[in-house]
Amino acid sequence: MKQATMRAPNLLSLFLAAATLAAAADFQIPFEKYKLANGMRVILSRDSAAPVVTVYVIYNVGARSEERGRTGFAHLFEHMMFQGSKNAPKGVHLKTVESNGGYLNGSTHPDFTDYFEVLPSNKLAVALWLEADRMRGLNITAENLANQKEAVKQERRLSVDNQPYATAIVDRWPELAFRNWSNSHSLIGSFEDLNAASVDDVSRFFRTYYAPNNAVLVMVGDVQAAEAKKLVEKYFGDIPSQPQPAHPDLTEPPVTESRHASVPDALARVPAVVIGYPGPPRRSPDYYALAMLDVIFTGGDSSRFQQNLVKGRQSVVRYEASLGWPFASGADYKNPGLYGIYLLHKPSFQGRQVAGQVQEEMARIQREGVDRKELARAKTFFRASQINQLQTSLQRAMLLGQYEILDGDPNMINTEMEQFMAVTPERIKAVAGQYLKSGVRTVMEIVLAPKKEEKK
Amino acid sequence: MRLPGMILLAATLAAQTVDRSKLPETPPLAAYKLPPTVEETLANGLLVVSVRDVRFPVVAARLGFRAGSKFDPAQRSGLSETVAALLKEGTQARTGQQVVEEMAEIGGAIDAVSGPDNLVVNGSALSENLARLLDILADVTQNAEFPEDELKLRKQNRTQELLAARAEAATLADEKLQAVLFGSHPYSRLLPTAESIAKIDRAALLDFRRRFLTPNNGILVLTGALPPQPELMKTITARFGSWAKGAAPPQPAAQFPPPRRALVLVDRPGSVQADIRAGKLSVDRTSPDYFPLIVANGILGSGTSSRMFLHIREEKGYAYDAHSTQSPRRNGGFFAATTQVRNEVVQPALEDVLGELRTLSSQPVTTNELTDVKNFMAGNFVIGLETQLGLANQLSMVKLNGLPSNYLELYVTRVRSVEPDQILRVAKKYMSPDDAAIVVVGDAAAIGKALEKFGRATVEKAR
Repeated sequence: MKQATMRAPNLLSLFLAAATLAAAADFQIPFEKYKLANGMRVILSRDSAAPVVTVYVIYNVGARSEERGRTGFAHLFEHMMFQGSKNAPKGVHLKTVESNGGYLNGSTHPDFTDYFEVLPSNKLAVALWLEADRMRGLNITAENLANQKEAVKQERRLSVDNQPYATAIVDRWPELAFRNWSNSHSLIGSFEDLNAASVDDVSRFFRTYYAPNNAVLVMVGDVQAAEAKKLVEKYFGDIPSQPQPAHPDLTEPPVTESRHASVPDALARVPAVVIGYPGPPRRSPDYYALAMLDVIFTGGDSSRFQQNLVKGRQSVVRYEASLGWPFASGADYKNPGLYGIYLLHKPSFQGRQVAGQVQEEMARIQREGVDRKELARAKTFFRASQINQLQTSLQRAMLLGQYEILDGDPNMINTEMEQFMAVTPERIKAVAGQYLKSGVRTVMEIVLAPKKEEKK
Repeated sequence: MRLPGMILLAATLAAQTVDRSKLPETPPLAAYKLPPTVEETLANGLLVVSVRDVRFPVVAARLGFRAGSKFDPAQRSGLSETVAALLKEGTQARTGQQVVEEMAEIGGAIDAVSGPDNLVVNGSALSENLARLLDILADVTQNAEFPEDELKLRKQNRTQELLAARAEAATLADEKLQAVLFGSHPYSRLLPTAESIAKIDRAALLDFRRRFLTPNNGILVLTGALPPQPELMKTITARFGSWAKGAAPPQPAAQFPPPRRALVLVDRPGSVQADIRAGKLSVDRTSPDYFPLIVANGILGSGTSSRMFLHIREEKGYAYDAHSTQSPRRNGGFFAATTQVRNEVVQPALEDVLGELRTLSSQPVTTNELTDVKNFMAGNFVIGLETQLGLANQLSMVKLNGLPSNYLELYVTRVRSVEPDQILRVAKKYMSPDDAAIVVVGDAAAIGKALEKFGRATVEKAR
């Protein structure tokens, strides 16, 4: 069944009526999807409960698209997107959003880069105008580039170099856990590579990847579809498309060995250990099973890590884990996935001991599986957390856009829950045996190093 | 699944001329209208505030008590947060593991957070399980047992967490600034110490729960897919109605040191950056100065159009982060300007921070600047109320701070009515640089000399 919708002229439209699909679900996010003549995909989802709208633009390019000698470039480019465009010169974008009562941000991920504005809903046109103006053409100047190189370096100093654990996780962990350079290079980049980036590099990157046919525009909130579509056509309709960009080959060679490293950290006061296992292909039955197994291990206070490691063995202080950790979550990475586990532990234990305790948890599942009650609890926990995270228009916009970019199907926001709920105890046991093997894991211990002063 | 799409090809390309060079005109922000909120008080004094919103099949609860860290005895700082952390670790009826398993079964989570003024127990669940959520909330707040083994583990882990937190320069800076500003008042303690945590015992936790977690000291806020009000109140009364009243706990006297210029350098060898704070005491939400002050703070350092962000980050490129905050407490509050800069520019950066404070407290703000910041604050406030959780948090804050029920609706109006002369007056009083306290965390060997210009620094070792 199709929704009755107004159509602006000059649109090549593909309508999707999602509202009638997953009928029995707990929730139904209504939306429609269509395409402009220039190839830009548009997703529109209405919710009139609060006078708020989110405009979200997601581009199909991320840090894993970087070339050798240009590590950190995707992130540097994201900064350039805030340096001004033809009709909204430097400073105007941020000021305009804020002075209209909203907030904004952009972020660089391994597999995509995204930008959003959240505004009072009667300000929709403001966000669309701004996003279209910079998609149409950026002010790429030597001065802006030099300035943003400094800003990125400062960001690196603040959030990596001056933070405990961060250098090990950001720079060392990918090198250790992946073999393909596209996956293994530092996503925030080196100062040397940042310095080497030229104005030409920036222009080329913009032309190649920031074209409408490589983007998805999502609008979620209290807006009228007809009005929104008119505005979208007005501002984005004639931005020219570009040849479809190539995407990097992210394939990893099969893993046949375990790896281990010990990284000293002068800023850390509590030791940590990071463990990674090559994961199943995204959206495969094994992926859903491993995601649910992750909930059993780490989801909430009744999880096995909390009950058995933090409490039982009293070795672990704090932990986080997910497919895609640390740069992505289970939902937003392209293959190849890595199930990453990060544990802060007491200094009275060695990192390798803690890794051994984690491996014993895996072995127990491989041996005994899980009972139906524990799995049911994990599913309920998962379902509730998914529903809770749908409450903001921003979260819904991100999910719709990311499903479209990564899977080509935004309606997975409504339907994917079924796949998680269908996971069986047998499948859990099977994926534990297949993926969580000590022979293929990577272990990185972050050990306390003397303060710099004491080294002298 | 995708349905077969319908392709519509337009016959002609429009030859219309579209002006895309100008920002589109949009209507001004609408006034905020609070969704229907119901307040009822049980016979034992427990205030219940509820807002029904059935978009998603979930409910959120905020059971708040005036029981924050300011009620910690001086030698046992960390008592309130330990009560919060161990609340779900077992009652007479349930072990800790049963509590968390039951919560997971109902699609929920429970955690309690202790702030400077209040302790709030947060709970959520799928809406079909509201009664079970309230069962557990009632049980843990009325009957938490604080088992010895859980307390012992908590103390060990908290000691490690405190070490990790104090490994971060920002924690050290925030901690030192609050200590300087609030003197001997409990608000001076951002975090407990390993020593004070070690002194906490089970008897102190039980005593704290009995004295502070009482119905007449509490407020229960519920939002989400709730049943109709009479049914809701019946469900609540069945679980909280027999809870005995307590005596109202005494408040610590709101006595704070007078403002004075202090310069403290916390030595953190090996730091490649310096964390800078400049701050002064300010006011709470009930003060007539509060709204002018938060607007003044907005102009100075809230958001990316603020003076600090534009000058210190964008123009000078000294820092990635440059911002300021007003942090109101139940009584009083404080203002802080914050930035982290590379070691080489610590002197000009600190000069700029103080320069911004001087400008704000000596020259009137422009009309444009003021209009923009008011829109920024009003719009973002409304956005914050978009979710059930956002609304629940704000309602809980309003009630715990004894603010009028129309506070959230009036917020936008009160922000909009602030005038430039009010800003100048409050900036002079609460944000002028001469008697501001300055804290810098960094490598003393690298930055000590650069700070000499600002006076004699007290140098302290990072803990």
